[in-house]
Amino acid sequence: MKTVRKKPGWQIIKNQKQLIFMSVPVCLYIILFSYIPLWGWSMAFQDYKPAKGFFEQTWVGFKHFIFLFSDSNFLNALRNTLAMSLINLVLGFVTAIAFALLLNEIRITSFKRVVQTISYLPHFLSWVIAAGIVQMALSIEGGIVNTILIKLGFIKNPVMWLSKPEYFWGIIGISFIWKELGWNTIIYLAAMSGIDPGLYESAEIDGANRYQKMWHITLPGIKATIVVLLILSIGRLMEAGFEMQYLLRNGLIMDWSDTIDIFVINFGIGQGNYSLATAAGIFKSVVNITLLFSANYFAKKIGEERIV
Amino acid sequence: MRKEVTIKWFLLILVFLLSADFCFPSDRSEGKQKLYKVSVFILTPSQQPTPDNRVFKRIKEEFGIVFDFDIIAGDANQKIGVMLASSDLPDIINAHQRFIDNEAFIPLEGLIEEHAPRIKKHLEQCWSLITHDDGHIYVMPNWGVYQGDYKSNESLGPAFWIQKAVLKEFGYPEVKTLDQYFDLLIKYRERYPTVDGQPTIGFEILCEGWRDFCLKNPPQHLIGFPNDGDVVVRDNKAEMYSDKDYAKRYYKKLNELNQMGLIDREAFVLSYDQYIAKISSGRVLGMFDQKWNFQRAEYSLKKQGKIWRTYAPCPVTYDESIKDYYMDRPVVNVDRGFGISVNCKDPERLIKLFDSLLDEEWQKFLQWGVEGEDYIVNDKGKFIRTQEMRDMQNDPAWKQSHTGLSFFDESTKLEGTFSDGNATSPGIQPEEYFESLKPEDKEFLAGYGYKTFSDFFSPPPPNPPHYPVWSLHIPEGTPGQTAFLKYDDISLKYLPRVILADPKNFENVWAQYMDELEKIDIPAYLDAVNEAIQVRIKKVVNN
Repeated sequence: MKTVRKKPGWQIIKNQKQLIFMSVPVCLYIILFSYIPLWGWSMAFQDYKPAKGFFEQTWVGFKHFIFLFSDSNFLNALRNTLAMSLINLVLGFVTAIAFALLLNEIRITSFKRVVQTISYLPHFLSWVIAAGIVQMALSIEGGIVNTILIKLGFIKNPVMWLSKPEYFWGIIGISFIWKELGWNTIIYLAAMSGIDPGLYESAEIDGANRYQKMWHITLPGIKATIVVLLILSIGRLMEAGFEMQYLLRNGLIMDWSDTIDIFVINFGIGQGNYSLATAAGIFKSVVNITLLFSANYFAKKIGEERIV
Repeated sequence: MRKEVTIKWFLLILVFLLSADFCFPSDRSEGKQKLYKVSVFILTPSQQPTPDNRVFKRIKEEFGIVFDFDIIAGDANQKIGVMLASSDLPDIINAHQRFIDNEAFIPLEGLIEEHAPRIKKHLEQCWSLITHDDGHIYVMPNWGVYQGDYKSNESLGPAFWIQKAVLKEFGYPEVKTLDQYFDLLIKYRERYPTVDGQPTIGFEILCEGWRDFCLKNPPQHLIGFPNDGDVVVRDNKAEMYSDKDYAKRYYKKLNELNQMGLIDREAFVLSYDQYIAKISSGRVLGMFDQKWNFQRAEYSLKKQGKIWRTYAPCPVTYDESIKDYYMDRPVVNVDRGFGISVNCKDPERLIKLFDSLLDEEWQKFLQWGVEGEDYIVNDKGKFIRTQEMRDMQNDPAWKQSHTGLSFFDESTKLEGTFSDGNATSPGIQPEEYFESLKPEDKEFLAGYGYKTFSDFFSPPPPNPPHYPVWSLHIPEGTPGQTAFLKYDDISLKYLPRVILADPKNFENVWAQYMDELEKIDIPAYLDAVNEAIQVRIKKVVNN
């Protein structure tokens, strides 16, 4: 049978008028807050001064972009951003899926609930408080990490975790997991509850054990969710977070802790150089969009779920 | 039929929305003294006044002006950046260089000449100093414009601070040199490895964010120069000191002390709050800092009754032949205070308000309070407080409901002496100052034969005309400013490494630091500073 795609005409519009009516506010919202501000990108090509009108600004072409890519601080920040967000991405995914699988296997509902609640509570803490807790835990005077490691005999003297650049990315990664793990599992648990129980029953009849059921039924059952979330996360690869690094950084580890956002705050907003801040922002957005579409394209190629 | 109903509903909602919109303007009351709501931006983290605050109630009654305070929380530079970019400016702004650079203020000199005789008289002595190159005055300085006699009892500025307990332990010795200072800390720490059950910290260094002056500034003082920020000025020429041998000598010393365990191991990762918490615990024997920066910790120590754990200043130098220059004479706080923004609807009314507040009666109310409630007049006509009044004044909650808080701090004000001979504020009234000292403090001062804590310092010579460099204006976004920012970053990165380095490796790390400094355009920064110095010298000479 041949399906003819009708051209959008008044008839269709009339038929779908409720739907169109409902989507108008959302479209307006997106135009107003996502597209109109793009006008501000023009700042990246000017030496922008807030006091002057648009036509009085000096246009400087790609000066700010050239400055960015010749500045060792920015290149450092770029490396740190990518590294930390890759660590967060991989760790975040693996732990969240594993944790969700484990939770899903728990039979006692009340225990499951308690574990779930406790694990997602840190999500509701602000980063300022979270950073304070991390700082305290890593302190050399009675910090829990040092105390435990000494008691277990792994180290002799307390280690100054936050003064060693080589530990910083790891500290950020672990802090992210501690804070977001429980929250990230929620969506997987939801996806798991949508799996047809009949599949498990027939697997059981066929003699599958628990691990086999997890591997052959649960995981494939949430594969679509995993792929969609992965694509979305890859699209945010240039966002390694800001608050945590900003709050935990100090002079000794600056080279490893500063992300692009911190660079923008210090050398852009903090110095009144809005153009530089905008240029860095454009760069981030362009990279993010490129990554998002490549991931999406790749998913399409291997025949997986995709978002666009 | 249904369609009609829908349209009617729609019209009804529309009418409601429109009428609501038009209602509000007519709501604003008329009448002779129209209540004027003024928005104020405050740049120092502080408390909001309570709704029934005594000062603001009186301002409302007398002038019909109410304030709406926006008090900063967090980083000033970011907040300012956002405010300027959105051009969402309140009526009165607590000035910062960047507001001036971005033309956020209206010129005040015309308004002052026309409507504000008191402000005119008050600022006359520094008129050309506070006038910008374009001939305008944008900010009324908050502190540093003195009239009458001035005597300081206490310096809030920089020094190497040491716990009074340490000096008492060793029989109140003279501390003149850096080596003497550190020897005392070392000896005391050996004798008392713990304070109140916690390990004693010999020397603390704060280097968080802009407060890194605790790490960077000491070398200039050790060679007998005043606080000019990151440069020392000889014959009106600025030189960077971080890369000089006299700076290296200080950090070498710190490196040695670190090997002995005198310096807090956590020093370079401390946040400001952790720093204050450590000092408040009473186990930090000494640090280099400016007193206003750690005063919060001293209040806490006093509250805990640990008076001997509060600090006395040691204005030390490298050797006794160098005269200390830590304490300076008051300087006009140029470009800090309140300015009126370009968004203000009625600047005339505000300038008249500030003028009225400069009246001596108002100033007594703002700085001393109400006679009989906050102070009494003794038989010699001097203002003095009873102990109860002092205790009351120290209560933060009371302050919040009875004083002008940061609005008063940032307003231009009388300092020095009133026409009746009383000091403008209790802190500098000699009678009141001695009375308010704790018995321990009196005992401590007697040990040295001093009358005030200022006596620890050499009397300051007249300020050099350029002084101080840290308040000079280096324009935003210029190579000089970028160079300074990078210098700041590199110092923050390398100085801790230099101090923590293995002594064998010290020279090596120091050389790396020098290499990094060489890569940035420091001459551009120095040129900008030197230019600004020349401009200020001209202004001062003109005054």
